[in-house]
Amino acid sequence: MRQYLLKSLLQIIPVLFLISIIVFVLVYCTGDPVSLMLADTATDEDRAILIAALGLDQPLYVQYFTFIGHMLQGDFGTSFRYDMPALPIVLERLPATFELAIASMLVATVISIPLGILSATKRNSFLDIFFSGCSVLGKAMPHFWLGIMLILLFAVEMKALPVSGRGSFENLVLPAFTLGTGIAAEMTRLIRSSMLEILNQDYIRTARSKGLLESIVVYKHALRNSMIPVVTIMALQTSTLIGGTLITETIFSWPGMGQLIIQAVNARDMAIVQAAVFVVAFLVIISNLIADILYRVLDPRIKYN
Amino acid sequence: MKKRLAGMGLAAVLALSAALVGCSSQSSTTTPAPKQQEAASGTAPASGGNSGEKVLTIASGNDIVSFDIHDHNNTSTEAVHVNMFNYLVKKDRNQKVQPDLATSWEIVNDKTWRFKLREGVTFHNGDPFTADDVKFTLERVAKDQKLLEYGNYKQIQEVKVVDPHTIEIVTNESEPVLLNRLSRLGSGMLPSKYIKEKGWDEFLKNPVGTGPYKFEKWERDDRLIMVKNDQYFGDKPKWDKLVFRAIPEDATRVAELLTGGVDIAVNIPPSDLERIDSNEGTHTATGPTQRVMQLTLRMTPGTVTENPKVREAIDLAIDEKAIVDSILAGGGTPTRTRVTPGNFGAEPSLYNTSLYDPERAKQLLAEAGYPNGIDINFSATSGRYLKDKETAELIQAMLAEVGIRAKLDLMEWSKFNETYKAKKFGEMFMISYANSMFDGSLAFDRLTTERAKGESDYSNPEVDKLLKEAEKNMNLEERAKQYQQVQKIVAEERPHIYMYQMNANYGVSDKINFEPRLDEMLFADEITLK
Repeated sequence: MRQYLLKSLLQIIPVLFLISIIVFVLVYCTGDPVSLMLADTATDEDRAILIAALGLDQPLYVQYFTFIGHMLQGDFGTSFRYDMPALPIVLERLPATFELAIASMLVATVISIPLGILSATKRNSFLDIFFSGCSVLGKAMPHFWLGIMLILLFAVEMKALPVSGRGSFENLVLPAFTLGTGIAAEMTRLIRSSMLEILNQDYIRTARSKGLLESIVVYKHALRNSMIPVVTIMALQTSTLIGGTLITETIFSWPGMGQLIIQAVNARDMAIVQAAVFVVAFLVIISNLIADILYRVLDPRIKYN
Repeated sequence: MKKRLAGMGLAAVLALSAALVGCSSQSSTTTPAPKQQEAASGTAPASGGNSGEKVLTIASGNDIVSFDIHDHNNTSTEAVHVNMFNYLVKKDRNQKVQPDLATSWEIVNDKTWRFKLREGVTFHNGDPFTADDVKFTLERVAKDQKLLEYGNYKQIQEVKVVDPHTIEIVTNESEPVLLNRLSRLGSGMLPSKYIKEKGWDEFLKNPVGTGPYKFEKWERDDRLIMVKNDQYFGDKPKWDKLVFRAIPEDATRVAELLTGGVDIAVNIPPSDLERIDSNEGTHTATGPTQRVMQLTLRMTPGTVTENPKVREAIDLAIDEKAIVDSILAGGGTPTRTRVTPGNFGAEPSLYNTSLYDPERAKQLLAEAGYPNGIDINFSATSGRYLKDKETAELIQAMLAEVGIRAKLDLMEWSKFNETYKAKKFGEMFMISYANSMFDGSLAFDRLTTERAKGESDYSNPEVDKLLKEAEKNMNLEERAKQYQQVQKIVAEERPHIYMYQMNANYGVSDKINFEPRLDEMLFADEITLK
């Protein structure tokens, strides 16, 4: 186990290195930050001065090694837009995004577990078909559309919840629901199939033949075991959520990483984009690793090497 | 065995829920929850709710860039800053220069201006405001080439401290627009002692000015909170607290206004204006801005637009009034000049007028030798300006009516900007410029022979001469005439075809009085409770 962990951790290094190259090249290919920073009145001379000041007149590989060298010291460069080191700005946003990601996951869990169980136990019934339809719909619905619809219904029409911003529990409800439904749709289907598989196992048949109540069979024997793959998927989904809340955060003006990345991209604030993508990549790798370990811990049939 | 595993799975779910509880309870302790809830849930703004506190909440499309007033060129950032910082002189609603931190001024000689400073002014941290602060502030931006506003202040050679409340500004050349420069972005007075002692980083975290409101808290991309400054030298601040919220999504910003979450929402899309007006408790306010939408034409030899008749035909084919009415819901004014009213040197005869005449346009094309029409390349932005894509498409259709087949190339801003800076557009491109200097000089800087090279390739020695003279002319009456003359020539020769001045649209709560300003500034004390 320890050996496996060590190996996994060492594998992170080349992955991060690769990400750093991709991020660096992509950002430099997509636009010219200087033209966006300069006023309309700026002359070519002003432009040259700014380019030199930012070190953009150096060859690409020199810029890359400067970037990597600084990065190893935790310095992701200075944000053009904020005139401050990029990494603290990005880290400052993590709590808001974590909060939203976890709340969304909770919404997804609360919706998907009962629906998944019902679908599996009442297989091919009207309810099963109805929930399957809902989950297709839930997966297909774009976040920006759902978000705006929820705002119109619950905030503008019913005035039950605040429209946007962060600060109170009420603020969390609509964005968490927007993000949670898509995941719930996926998890419902997963729970349903996992549950169905387990309901066909020998030990369930044994339990039933002993004359146990159906509810005990389902909730005591089947549910616990069918949750194992679900937990793994949840960990993986959480990592996707951390990086993928861009649109939802913008709609609800939630001051998290997603909104920061969108604004930084619009402003061609390269330092922020690089730092943010790096932090997200790091978190995704780490949470995938945790999911992997969790899976191995939960299911002893999987070997550590 | 199975039991143990299942238990672990459930424990993981429980841990997740526990983490959530931790998160949400943490969020309500680390942030001043009651105040935020007040602003967010919409019970408090404007009226102040239970506490009786007068809070003004304004929602913008983007957050302020930074508190480095010299290192941004963003109007919406300045619009917020003006509540915290004072300029030496300020412009009133009619764009007349008024005393602010300077009480009087005189021209000593062509290159020297003397300013008398207001006495008894203190910064928010208690430091007195003196001549040293003026020297520190203006020389920083005039000397540091890395600052984005450097280009607009490098004309200043030196600031001389005559006595603690008198300064002299020495410029490199004679500088007729100095007062305009000093009443705009980058001229807010900074506390030199505080910055020298505590450092620039500390200032950016806890900015200090002399204005009617002082900094309280800034949560990036969420909200900036200011509270009133009881020590303010001018009229007593009207609000206890200002909240500037950043809400990038248009639909969300409008929804916040409709639910009373904010008192003013800026940048309202034309399609939402009616909804805000018909909603109980809100209305819209609209006003002209310094932004003029224009077409830049190529006069490069070998292009069809080199022919003055073709350029005139393009001008006559476009119905500016129709664009403004149908696309901008009336939010604009047709104009044939970029120097609109409120700017020094404006030519009124070219404002609020259009030459739309499609029949004559067809005739002109025939006269130019193109009875079967022409093909041109037309580049425009998509998503940069209000309804730019729709406007460009309508222009394309209008041009087609008279036989000008425009190949429209819509570009995302950074792509457009790169092509623009590289001067690689075809016969025609659409762009909008603002004018924060409120002076004719800026409107023509792209039309001198030197700057137009490769872009419009316009060259008129008379225009060059007039602009050169006007730039340094301290005789203001004569200077205005020079700019008016240039406008008439440009309107006739059409290297640029000016189309319309854009309005700024605001959504406003019925509880407050708000009138937009031409400079788009949001002075909180000009906004009052009804």
